[in-house]
Amino acid sequence: MSIEVVNLSHSYKEGTPFEKQVLFEINLSVGEGEFVGIIGPTRSGKTTLAQHFNALHIPRRGKVLIDGLDTKDKRADLVKIRHRVGYVFQNPEYQLFAPTVGEDIAFGPLNQKLSREEVDERVREAMAQVGLDYRALRDRDIFALSGGQKRRAAIAGVLACKPGVLVLDDITAGLDPRGREEILSVIKELHHRQNLTTIFISNSMDEVAAMAERIIVIDRGRVIMDDSTRNVFARFKELRDIGLELPEVTVLIDRLRTAGFNLPAGVLNVSEALTSISAALRELEAQK
Amino acid sequence: MELTKNITLGVYLPGKSSIHNLDPRTKIITATIMIVLLLISRSYAAFALSALFVGFLITLSGVPAGYAMRGLKPMLPVLAIMWVFQLFLFKAPDTTIYFHWWIFEATAAGLHMGNLIILRVLFLFTVTTFLTLTTSVVSLTDGLESLLKPLRAIGIPSQELVMTLVIALRFVLILAEELEKIIKAQMARGVAFDRGNFIQKTRKIFPVFLPLFIGAFKRAEELIVAMDARSYTGGKGRTKMKTLHMGRVDLEAAAAMIVYGGLLIYIIIFTEPMI
Repeated sequence: MSIEVVNLSHSYKEGTPFEKQVLFEINLSVGEGEFVGIIGPTRSGKTTLAQHFNALHIPRRGKVLIDGLDTKDKRADLVKIRHRVGYVFQNPEYQLFAPTVGEDIAFGPLNQKLSREEVDERVREAMAQVGLDYRALRDRDIFALSGGQKRRAAIAGVLACKPGVLVLDDITAGLDPRGREEILSVIKELHHRQNLTTIFISNSMDEVAAMAERIIVIDRGRVIMDDSTRNVFARFKELRDIGLELPEVTVLIDRLRTAGFNLPAGVLNVSEALTSISAALRELEAQK
Repeated sequence: MELTKNITLGVYLPGKSSIHNLDPRTKIITATIMIVLLLISRSYAAFALSALFVGFLITLSGVPAGYAMRGLKPMLPVLAIMWVFQLFLFKAPDTTIYFHWWIFEATAAGLHMGNLIILRVLFLFTVTTFLTLTTSVVSLTDGLESLLKPLRAIGIPSQELVMTLVIALRFVLILAEELEKIIKAQMARGVAFDRGNFIQKTRKIFPVFLPLFIGAFKRAEELIVAMDARSYTGGKGRTKMKTLHMGRVDLEAAAAMIVYGGLLIYIIIFTEPMI
C-alpha cells in the first residue's frame, strides 16, 4: 500500500484565539513495502502528520491519498481506510479495555464483522506475531500483564486488523531495554517477512538508524529532509541545530576517527561499527 | 477529530485588559450578583439590559465574542429540545393558543417560558465562562479562598474545598484531551461511532470510558503523590506569595455594577414579566 501527501497544512483549534498551525504544505509519498522513519523535535508535528495517514485527521487544506483513495472524499469508507492503515499510539496500553487479552485483541477484527472463527484465527496469529503465548495468555486479565506485554498486546490488537501499512508512534517510549529490544525485533520481523509498509516515528535516533531505510525529518511543521538514513545522518550539523542528535554509535565512531583510527564515516548501527572496528584492529595488528 | 476545540469552560485566555486586572474577588462577587439578578429577571427588557452589559464587558476584555460563546455550540441541540418542550407542554390558564393538535398546544405562555429558560441558560453559561476566560486558575483559587475564609470559623475546610474545585476545573481539559486520544485509538481499530442503532451505539461507549476511568484514577493517584511529595497538608498554616489587593479598577467595577444592578432591579420591578 502507498501513501501520498500533497500540500497538506493543518491547524489546531482553528477559529479560536488559540489557533496554531502545526503543519505547513507537507509533500511526501511512501511506497509499497518501504520502512520510513519520521524524526523531529517534540511538538514538531510528527503525530499530527501521521494521524492524517489513517484518516483520524481529515485534511482541510491539501490532501492525503491512501492507495489513491482521497481521505477527504465524502464517499471514502474511513473505517476501511483505518483498518488498512494500522496505527499504534504512543503508550498504546491506554487503549486496552477488555477484561482479557484475547478479547481486547479481537476488538478490531470484530469491528470488521468477521465470523467468530476468523476472529479467533486473527487473534492467534497476531499474538504469535508479537510473541505472546496464545494458550497461556489469551484468557489472562489484561491489567495483570507487565508493561512490555501490555504494549505487545496493544500492537497485536492493531495487527489483528491485518493492516497493509503500519504506523508506529513512538512505541518504545517508557519501556525497559529488554522490552524495547523485543518490540523492535517484532517490528523488524513483520516488515521483512510480510513486506509490510512501515512508518516508524521515534525520538530515539539509535532506533531509527537501526530500523529505517529512509528518514523524513520534520521541524516546526515542515519537512526539512527526506532522504536515505545514511544521507540524513550525514547532515548532523543541521540535525543538531534543530535539537536532534546522532545515533550514539555514530558519535562514538566519529570520535575514534578524530582520534586517528582508520574507520569509515557515517556508521549507523552496532553491527556496522563492530565490523569496521574489528577490521581496523586487524589492520593495526598487521602493522605491528 | 478535535474535541477540545469547543471547550471554553475552565479555559483561561491571558490578556492585559482592565477586566483581566480586576481583583479576582471583585470578579467572583460581581459574577455571583449577576447570576442572582439573572435568575430573578423575568422580562425581555431586563435581559436586553443584561445583554448590553455583558456585551460591554466582553468588548472591554478583548475576548473575541465568538470564542466566548463557542462553548454553547455543543449545548444548542439540548437547548432546542428544551425550548420545544416548553412551547408545547407548558400549561397556563387564559393564554393565547397558537396551534393545537392532540395533547400538544403551542401557547403564548409556553413560548415565553421556553424563551425565559433559554435566555437564563445562555446568560449563566456566558457569565461563568467569561469569568474563567479572564481569570487564571491561580487567581481564581486565591480569590475564592479569601472569600470563603470566614467559613473556617464554623469548621468548613474552605481551602481544601477550593483546591478540590480548582483541580476539578483543571481536569476538564485534561480529561477531554485524554478522551480524544482514546477515541482516536479505538477509531484506529475500526470503531465507527456514528454507525449502528441506539443499542449498538451505546455499547461503543465501553471501549472509550473504561480506559478513560482507569486513566483518571491513575492520574488522581499520581497527583496525590506529587502533592504529598511537596508536603501539602491542607490549608492550615499556608501563606501566599502574592497577596491580593483591591485597586482603582475594582472601584470602577463596583460603580459599573451598582449602575447596572440598580437599573436592572428597577426594570425587574416596573416592567411586565414575560410570563
